[in-house]
Amino acid sequence: MAKREYDVLIVGSGASGGMAAYTLTQLGVKCLLLDAGPKVDFQRNRGLKPVYELPYRGFGRPGKLPHVVQANEFNANQWVDEAEVPYTHDPKEPYNWVRVRMVGGKSLFWARMSFRLSDYEFKAKDKDGFGENWPLDHAELSPFYDRVEPIFRVSGRKEGLAQLPDGVFVEDSSPDTGAAQRIAAAGKPYGVTVTKIRRALGEGPFASSFNLLLPKAMATGNLTIVPNAVVRDLTVDKNTGRVNGVNFVDRKSKREMHAAARVVVLGASCLESTRILLNSGIANSSGVLGRYLHDQFYVSNSVVAIVPEARDGKAPRGLMGGGGYIPRFKNITTKEKNFIRGYAFDFFAGGTPDARYFGSWGAQLQKEMDAVRGASVSGTLMGEVLPRYENHVSVDRKVTDAFGIPVLNFKCKYTDNEFNMAKDAIDTMSEIYHKAGFEVMHRNDSMFPPGYSIHELGTCRMGDDPKKSVLNRWNQSHDVKNLFVVDGSSFVTGGSQNPTMTILALSMRASEYLAGQMKKGEI
Amino acid sequence: MKRRNMMKAVLAAPAAPALLSQSPPAHAQGPVPAAPNETAELATSIADDAATTRTRFFTQPQLNALRKLSAIVMPPLNGQPGAIDAGAPEFLDFLIGASPAPRQQLYRAGLDALNDGAKKRFGKTFADVDVTQAETLLAPLKQPWTYEPPADPLAHFLRDAKADIRTATVNSREYSAVATRGSRRGGGMGLYWYPLD
Repeated sequence: MAKREYDVLIVGSGASGGMAAYTLTQLGVKCLLLDAGPKVDFQRNRGLKPVYELPYRGFGRPGKLPHVVQANEFNANQWVDEAEVPYTHDPKEPYNWVRVRMVGGKSLFWARMSFRLSDYEFKAKDKDGFGENWPLDHAELSPFYDRVEPIFRVSGRKEGLAQLPDGVFVEDSSPDTGAAQRIAAAGKPYGVTVTKIRRALGEGPFASSFNLLLPKAMATGNLTIVPNAVVRDLTVDKNTGRVNGVNFVDRKSKREMHAAARVVVLGASCLESTRILLNSGIANSSGVLGRYLHDQFYVSNSVVAIVPEARDGKAPRGLMGGGGYIPRFKNITTKEKNFIRGYAFDFFAGGTPDARYFGSWGAQLQKEMDAVRGASVSGTLMGEVLPRYENHVSVDRKVTDAFGIPVLNFKCKYTDNEFNMAKDAIDTMSEIYHKAGFEVMHRNDSMFPPGYSIHELGTCRMGDDPKKSVLNRWNQSHDVKNLFVVDGSSFVTGGSQNPTMTILALSMRASEYLAGQMKKGEI
Repeated sequence: MKRRNMMKAVLAAPAAPALLSQSPPAHAQGPVPAAPNETAELATSIADDAATTRTRFFTQPQLNALRKLSAIVMPPLNGQPGAIDAGAPEFLDFLIGASPAPRQQLYRAGLDALNDGAKKRFGKTFADVDVTQAETLLAPLKQPWTYEPPADPLAHFLRDAKADIRTATVNSREYSAVATRGSRRGGGMGLYWYPLD
């Protein structure tokens, strides 16, 4: 059979790769999309089961997924098997790399939190002098956010906050709970605003590239999807220095394959895209490929409090039963002594504290838990992590995965800026809860290891200076003009906002630029 | 309730004849032959319905202490089975026996420490202490929960064991059967991902 050559070969079918396929195919570009995992049949691959029928009663097979805190025995098979695709790190500096390999990628499982970055992130260096600015600002990306949000049907309420720009929302006009109103009132002197959670409603059971992007791309007749294609590296034309395809391994048979294309777009997820580039030995004249790894640090159940009026099931109607979001409020109008940048909270009012927070057992424990059933407020702290040169990934050539591909080694740790920020957050939220009349029963400022938020960012950052960045302002390699990287690896800073909307907007923007350049014959 | 007993109960319920009476009168014509490519559905049971766990990991004194601890942490309450009814100690013998070495060591040392503490303070094993004496020995459980585990190995063990005993109980067949009695809600139902091909 004659070798086929596509206009664009896209690696990865999650949010970023899916958006590239969606955009390019509708502009008439013939695309081949490879994904390392299978196309899942959701009827066949999932089924309801009682927990007692699972081999380990819900505990999961011991030692199976040591880095995936999110895993349980029900969902263990949805995550990448760490034995099949391992990675290395100093045991004293763990990194929780949480991965999904299936068509649709992590967009099948994300928490759907949908926020924009603001110029407090895009132009962060201008505000505090640390790191680099992005080569673009919110005004430039805003038209793409405007188009992405309706596709994913983001619900929200317009708030008019500079640090959390409003979007094109499915209007959320539900009233705030009484608990949320009390937090807002008590937090006002601290600069706190309580917003609605901005969330992608999607369609049906998913808000994923699997149902929102890839079907429309397929309908153009311009997309070919090949699942189970584990990309080893990119191939380069020695005469031009440009990429001309990828080598990949068939996941099931381990057969080595090559696919050719005029342009390659990497959207394999932040660290897999960087791993492919590092294993290819290209696009790194800057020396910063793999550098500036960052994410958001998370502290789950950071402050757990009881709303006294809700004890013993006596909550008046409207007091409990809903959540809210507190966007960054530090270093906006104030200047903190111990840290730069800021943090956000999301909270839920109406749960029951876990048994671990009670210093009792047996009948007494049950009595105490029954008294506060549905009466707690708890939340997750999400803090900005500074992108530092020292935090990086490199290829560990001593270790290969099940496909013979060298794995990543991680050197990444949080520093005083993150620790001081977490401590401030817990102190501040405890004070606000206290002033709101809540009883704080637990507080914790110890964050999970880096990676836990599944918001890994950077390592292939964009910028105008080819000596300091891997990509230009269009997600295009400075070194290899027909190579684009459209996932979270392109981020310069990440803020405290969940990154998916920004990844989608960047991918749409880069893909339209690419199609335009191809049309002009520039690529 | 064992599954075979539950099936008997369902078949004996008054609703069964009514449902059958709404069916086509095929029963009057004898069994309907199965289509050539169909196979009969065979109802099977889980092992916990028919058998008990053979304990293999803990020593007998350790297992006795774990049973006592389980009975204290999760007694039968409000008509719900407790940890002993749910076979939680025996299940944990299996689970911890299959776990990485640090977790095994935590449990073994913790159970030994409970027995040693009981002998030193009360002259008997932990399995034989009374409620007041147990309260004294379990005092580390009263410490506030922290993300970092306690430095004291006994406190660390007790914290983990409390959570594990509760989970092994609540996720048991016995607990689910009672929790869902008289309700159409499935106890502990979840969306399970089968291994991907």
